[in-house]
Amino acid sequence: MIKGRFDDENLKWIPVLIIVVFLFPFLLKSATFSYKYYLYILNIAGIYIILTVGLDILSGFTGLMSLGHAAFLAIGAYTSAILVDQVGLPFELSLIITPIIVGLFGFVIGFPALRIEGMYLGLTTMGFGFIVKRLIIAFREWTGGSGGLHVSKATFFGITINNDWDNYFMIYTFAILAIIIARRIVKSKLGRAFMAIRDSEQAAQASGINLAKYKMMSFFISGMFAGFAGVLFAHTSHFISTDHFDILLSILFIVMVLVGGVGSIYGAVLGTLFIVLMENMFIPLFEDGMSQFVHLEAGDFQVFIFGLIMLIFIIFQPLGLYGMWLKTRIYWKIFPFNPRKRFT
Amino acid sequence: MKRIVSIIIMTAFIWMGCENKSTSPGVSDTEILIGNIQDLSGPIKELGLLIPAGTNMYLDYINSQGGVHGRQIKMLVEDHGYNPQKAVVAAKKLIEKDQVFCLYNVIGTSPAEAIRPILEESGVPLIAPATNSSSMSDMSRQAAEYIFHTDAGYDLQTRVLIDYIIDKNPDAKIGIAYQDDDYGENALKGCAEAEGNHGITVQKESFQRGATDFVGQTMNFMKGGCTDVIIGGIVREPVTIMKTAQAIGYKAQFYGLGPTVDPRVGMLAGEAGEGFIAAYWANYPNSDDSGPTLYRQLSEQNNVPEKMRGLYHYYGFATAHVLVEGLMKAGKYPTRERLMKGLETLHDWDSGVFPPITYSRNDHAGVESVILLQLQGGKQVAITDWRE
Repeated sequence: MIKGRFDDENLKWIPVLIIVVFLFPFLLKSATFSYKYYLYILNIAGIYIILTVGLDILSGFTGLMSLGHAAFLAIGAYTSAILVDQVGLPFELSLIITPIIVGLFGFVIGFPALRIEGMYLGLTTMGFGFIVKRLIIAFREWTGGSGGLHVSKATFFGITINNDWDNYFMIYTFAILAIIIARRIVKSKLGRAFMAIRDSEQAAQASGINLAKYKMMSFFISGMFAGFAGVLFAHTSHFISTDHFDILLSILFIVMVLVGGVGSIYGAVLGTLFIVLMENMFIPLFEDGMSQFVHLEAGDFQVFIFGLIMLIFIIFQPLGLYGMWLKTRIYWKIFPFNPRKRFT
Repeated sequence: MKRIVSIIIMTAFIWMGCENKSTSPGVSDTEILIGNIQDLSGPIKELGLLIPAGTNMYLDYINSQGGVHGRQIKMLVEDHGYNPQKAVVAAKKLIEKDQVFCLYNVIGTSPAEAIRPILEESGVPLIAPATNSSSMSDMSRQAAEYIFHTDAGYDLQTRVLIDYIIDKNPDAKIGIAYQDDDYGENALKGCAEAEGNHGITVQKESFQRGATDFVGQTMNFMKGGCTDVIIGGIVREPVTIMKTAQAIGYKAQFYGLGPTVDPRVGMLAGEAGEGFIAAYWANYPNSDDSGPTLYRQLSEQNNVPEKMRGLYHYYGFATAHVLVEGLMKAGKYPTRERLMKGLETLHDWDSGVFPPITYSRNDHAGVESVILLQLQGGKQVAITDWRE
C-alpha cells in the first residue's frame, strides 16, 4: 500500500494539545485573579502566531527576506476596520476578503523579489513599510490619518466578541487552523517548490519550477496570513494607528521566526510565544529584580536582552527552539546509545 | 408591633449614620496606588523620565505632609515606548495585576486613545493624560466620562497664535510647520478654524517625527514670503528651523506650540531664538504665581539638577495637583466613582499651577485658555493675558 503524505508523522498529540489550549483559560482563571491581563498577552501572541507562520513560509521555506510584515499587518487591520465599520460588511466576510486584498499587496511586492534577494529584498520590503505608513496618513478620510482609528467589536455569526476571554477562543481557533494550513502547504508540491527555490534557485529552475510564479505565490500566501492576523488585530485592539506598525515590529517578527527555528512551522509558533512572553512577562520581572541593585532605564534593558537572545541563538542554536526540541527528542530516542560527542 | 417599628427606626438611623466605607481596588488603609504609563524607551523617552520625576516631587511633598486623608500616594510607572499596543498591555497590567486605583498621565495621543476601551471596560478613570490633543476632552468619544484632561488643545493654541498674528498685522503671511502625526493633525484643525475665521490661507509644511533637517521647509517658507511661522515641534524643531533661517538670511517672527516652551529652546537657539513666541496653558515655571514658586522651592530642597528643571519636569509637578485634588475630593473612603464625581465638582478651582479649572459632567476639558510667552534675553516673559 502506498503511504499517505502524513503517515510518517505522529499526529496523536495534536488533539491533546488543542484540548490543552482551550482548557488553558479556565486553568488561568482559577490560578490568578489577574487572568485577563495574561489572556490579553496570549491573544496578542495568538495573532502574531498567525503572522509568523506565514512569514516562515516566505522566509524560512522560500528563503525570501521580508522586513515589511508589520505593513501587511497594518493593511489587514485598516482594510478590515474600513470594510466592517465604514462599508458595513459583516465581520465574517471581512475575514475572507481582507486576507485576499493583503495577499494581492504581497503579490505586488513579490515582483521585485524576482530580481533581487537577501538584504536588498529586505530593504525593499522595509521601504514598502514606510510607503504604507505615508499612505495611511494620506488617506485620512478613511483611516483617520495619524490620529488613529477606533474599531468596533467583532461579531462572529451572531456572537459579539466582548472581551479577552471570548477573543481567546476565536483567536486560538484561527491560530490552530493557520498552523494546520501552513503545515499542509509546506508538505505539498507547493511547499517542496518553495524549499527547492530556497536551497538553489538554479537547481529549482532546472527541475522545471517556475521561479516567478512560486516566489510571487509565496508572497501572496504570506500576505494572506498577515492579512488574517491584521483583521483579528484590529478587532482585538479596538484602536489602530500608524504607531502600532513601526519597523521595529517587522524586526521583532523576524526575531520570532529566527528564535523559534527558521523553516519550521512549529518553530515559528514556539518563537512567537517565547518572545511575546519574554517581552511582557519575564523581562519586566527580571527588571524589577535588577532595579534593586542597578539603575536601568526600562527600554534599554529590554533591547539589551533581545539582542543577547538573538546572538545566543544565532551562535549556539541556529536551528532555534524547535531545533533544540528535535535534538532532545532524538537524544532520548536513542538513549543510552548516543554517540558521545554528537550532542555536546 | 411596637418593637418591630422601633427596630426598623433604629436600623434606619444606624444606616443613615453610617458612612459607606467601601473603597475601590488600589486603596489600602495606608496607601493609594496610582498607575502612570510613560515612554521610557521610545522617541520621547527623555520626557518619560522627566515627567514622573516632577510628579514624584509633588507627591513626596504631599506624602510628607501626611498624604491624602492619611494615606500615602504611591505611583507605579510602566513603559510603552510610544507604542499604543504596549500602552494597552501596560494599562491591563496596572489595572488587572497591580490593581491601581486610577491611571494618571498616560503620555502620547495614540497610546492614550488606545486605552479608551480598557477604561470603559474597567471603569478606571484616567487623570491628566499627557497630551495636548483636544480629542482627549471630546465628550462624544468612547470612555470620555473617565478621562479628565488638563492641557489646552494644540488646536486652541494654534488658533490663538494665528489670532494674535492677525491682530498685530492683518496683512501677515503665515506659515506652519507641523509634525506628520496626531500632534500635527490636531494643530492643523486649529489652523483650519483660524483660516475660516480670518479668510486667510496658511502655508503648510510637514515634517516627520524625529526629523533633524528642516532646510526644505525653511526655504519653502522663505519662498512663500511668510512673515510669521508657527512651529509645531518640541525642542529640536524650533531650534533647527530658527538657526537654519538665520543661516540663510531669512527673517521672520517664529512661534511655537506648548511643547516648545522649554528653556532648552532659548539655550540652544541662542541669538536666533531671541523674540521666539510660544503658546502655553499653565502658569509658566518662571512666573511668580504660587504654583511655580512652590516648584522652585521644592526643586531647591530636593537638589533637582538644573538641566532637569523646566517644562516637562514642571508638567509632572503641575498635573499632580489635579490628581491630588481629585483624591482629596474622593473623601476618606475613596472609590473611583467618588473620584470622578469629586473632580466634576471643581468650579473655577485655583490650583496655583493652572488658570482656574472647571470640570462638570459634560465638560472634562480642564484648561481652556492660553498665554503667550516670549523669549527675551534668554528668559520667558508673558506678553499677553490669558486668551481663549
